[in-house]
Amino acid sequence: MPSPDQQQRLAALRETIADIERKPALAEARVQVEQPQGAFPALGGGLLQEIFTDERRNVGALLGFALAQAKGLLTAQRVAVIYLQLADEAQKLGMPYGPGLISFGFDPAALVMVRAASMAELLWAAEEAIACRAVAAVVADIGGQAKLLDFTASRRLSLRASATGGSIFLLRYGQGREASAAHLRWRLSPQGSAHKRYDAKAPGALRWRVQLEKGTIIKNQTEFVLGWTENGFATFTAQHCGADRLIGRAPLPRAVSAPLADGLPQTA
Amino acid sequence: MLFLPHWPTDYLKRRDPQLKAPLALYERIKGGLRLAALDAEAIWRGLSTGQNLADARAMVPELTVLELDRPLLEAAFADFADWHSNASPLVSVMNEVSGYGDLVLDITGVAHLFGGERPMLRLLLTRLRDLGYTVAGAIAPTIGAAWGVSHFARSQVVERVDLEAILDALPVHALRLTPAQAAGFAQMGLKTVGQLRQRERKPLQARFGSSLLTRLDQAYGVIEERMAPRLPAAERYAERRFADPIGLMDDVLMTCHDLAIQLSIRLEAEGLGGQAFHLFLYRVDHKVMALSVNSARLTRDPQHITKLFANRSERLEGEYDPGFGIDMIRLGVSSVAELDAVQLGAFSHQEVAADLDELNDRMSSRLGTMAVLKTQLVASHIPERAARLVPALVHDSKADRAGWPVQPRPLRLLPVPERIAINAEVPEGLPASMIWRRDSYRIEKAAGPERLGAEWWRSGQRLQLVPPHVPKKPEPGEKPETPPYVPDLAAFDPEALTRDYYVVEDTGGRRFWIYRQGFHRPDQPAVWYLHGFFP
Repeated sequence: MPSPDQQQRLAALRETIADIERKPALAEARVQVEQPQGAFPALGGGLLQEIFTDERRNVGALLGFALAQAKGLLTAQRVAVIYLQLADEAQKLGMPYGPGLISFGFDPAALVMVRAASMAELLWAAEEAIACRAVAAVVADIGGQAKLLDFTASRRLSLRASATGGSIFLLRYGQGREASAAHLRWRLSPQGSAHKRYDAKAPGALRWRVQLEKGTIIKNQTEFVLGWTENGFATFTAQHCGADRLIGRAPLPRAVSAPLADGLPQTA
Repeated sequence: MLFLPHWPTDYLKRRDPQLKAPLALYERIKGGLRLAALDAEAIWRGLSTGQNLADARAMVPELTVLELDRPLLEAAFADFADWHSNASPLVSVMNEVSGYGDLVLDITGVAHLFGGERPMLRLLLTRLRDLGYTVAGAIAPTIGAAWGVSHFARSQVVERVDLEAILDALPVHALRLTPAQAAGFAQMGLKTVGQLRQRERKPLQARFGSSLLTRLDQAYGVIEERMAPRLPAAERYAERRFADPIGLMDDVLMTCHDLAIQLSIRLEAEGLGGQAFHLFLYRVDHKVMALSVNSARLTRDPQHITKLFANRSERLEGEYDPGFGIDMIRLGVSSVAELDAVQLGAFSHQEVAADLDELNDRMSSRLGTMAVLKTQLVASHIPERAARLVPALVHDSKADRAGWPVQPRPLRLLPVPERIAINAEVPEGLPASMIWRRDSYRIEKAAGPERLGAEWWRSGQRLQLVPPHVPKKPEPGEKPETPPYVPDLAAFDPEALTRDYYVVEDTGGRRFWIYRQGFHRPDQPAVWYLHGFFP
């Protein structure tokens, strides 16, 4: 067990190397985090984020979390979010719905939907879109396991994202995790909604539980229980919402740090 | 006007040199096999179209016969017509009389490039004769006159002053008559157009229909006749011819880039930009491939144009077939409008929108126009009608929904609602459990119903606002009154398209949008659907 002093030096060295390794985005994101204790930070652009959910029926929450983050990236210069989907997965996963976007707090005019015929075309469109200066974020909805989306492809996307400053969100389903060059990896599960005043039987404000499986944004915190209003995230403490009601299997163990292409453990 | 009387046989002979000279094509007409097309030698041997195949075989034992394949010949003739766009940009096939054989070229302002009308006609005719086609041609001030002259006189250029004299001498068939009209003139003893023109118009119209007078006026230029060009008419274009044909797509794209630069310099000098670009590839074997791309906003940026074509060509893949090579490439632009010079980098707000439009162009050119979509909101209560997906290239006036009440609506909608099974504690009450895609869900919270009904004018039904009319018994001596007109539509059934929507949340916190079709009825099982997902 290295001493705390050694650990600090190691961390400092790692950050220096991360900067050299053209991963300035994450370093920046870590600096930008100036939030009250324990709150969910507003992440900057230039990140490749994978958002996993265990089951395909959580599609609504998954898209919501990605669009909620993407909304924070929209500026006067970056006016569009590109949503990518394979054309034959529309019936499986559903398509973003204009009036629903309005009630979620997202301007439907800012969303361009692309229905690619194949995975190769989808990845091409993702690269093309993230290279555009007017695009704030690319949300790629990938329903199945895609052979083409391997480490090389995700590395390409992550380099593109850090070079141009837009974010890419890969929406993935299932419990399998492949090697990827994503800066952050989330695991999302919906939670029972909050109490609705005057009508206890009706669903109230939404709650999500997100766990950070890869990357760090705040030291020593990897789990958030989030709410969403039109103005941004609200963070709740886990017991407030009843963490014992988390259904499904036990949360996955943290990913084991593995030496990747750049020789660095990707998880801090 | 070019007329190829023996096009079908000439074409087949060119395609298959093994075919022997007296060649006839037959067609099944009214149960009999009859000759439909003949080559020159078969005609010289005394055969004629419409003849019975058995008779023809008896007359000419060595006759080669094939069945006439009209779609194939028409497609081949269309390709043949496209190839003639190297003579004039406006080429069309006149398919009023026959699907092939008649080619119309609008050579207004083109003839001087070939050294005048006479040399141009000679060039076009000799070029085709060298290829083995029988061809006659005429250049005339009107399409009708050119058709008549090319079919019934020697190939010549008809000046406007000679038009009447030449037309008057032509047989009446030169007016593109129907068989019935031709038979009528034979009965009347009218042989030439001149004789016909001296007759009174009214009786002619009464007997032969107004189409005859239209044809007559069109031939003499009294009324205008229009042609529909086959290839999109490019307003400006740049082209390059190759001494040696090229084949690779990369070479084509490099040429396209050069042409785009030429074109953009010209457009810039004129202060114009275009929205539709067409690349025509002329193959050595007389076929033309046309690729078209559209851009969302006016542009003249050569990089962007080339990129669109590069993306478009990747979508071709197997379809791209240069054959024996491409000997001319032409880049045309249409939908041209004024585009002022802009200073780059000065007005960043403009630039952002332009960047996004260019991205949409690139994605649409590779993935297809219908693959890049944006949402257009429509004022309708029916969920699937309230949002319409339109191509992102389309510019529209933004519908403002700012003042509308925001209803809870799902973030994702299924294109087709899926059947589910619902159990409720009380028959009319909130749902308690649900089965969807073979998984069962226990529903913890539910809100609803929100009743959404179809607009009655969409359902093709009639509202019953007025009580039905009961006819009175007519008094003796009085006429029975006529009942008022009521359109024959089914009476409006408010239940037919009404849905009751519920927001439900299961134990895992997933929230769905489900609905029951129609009203609740105790005697009928309710039909439920899942329509969307809340975040």
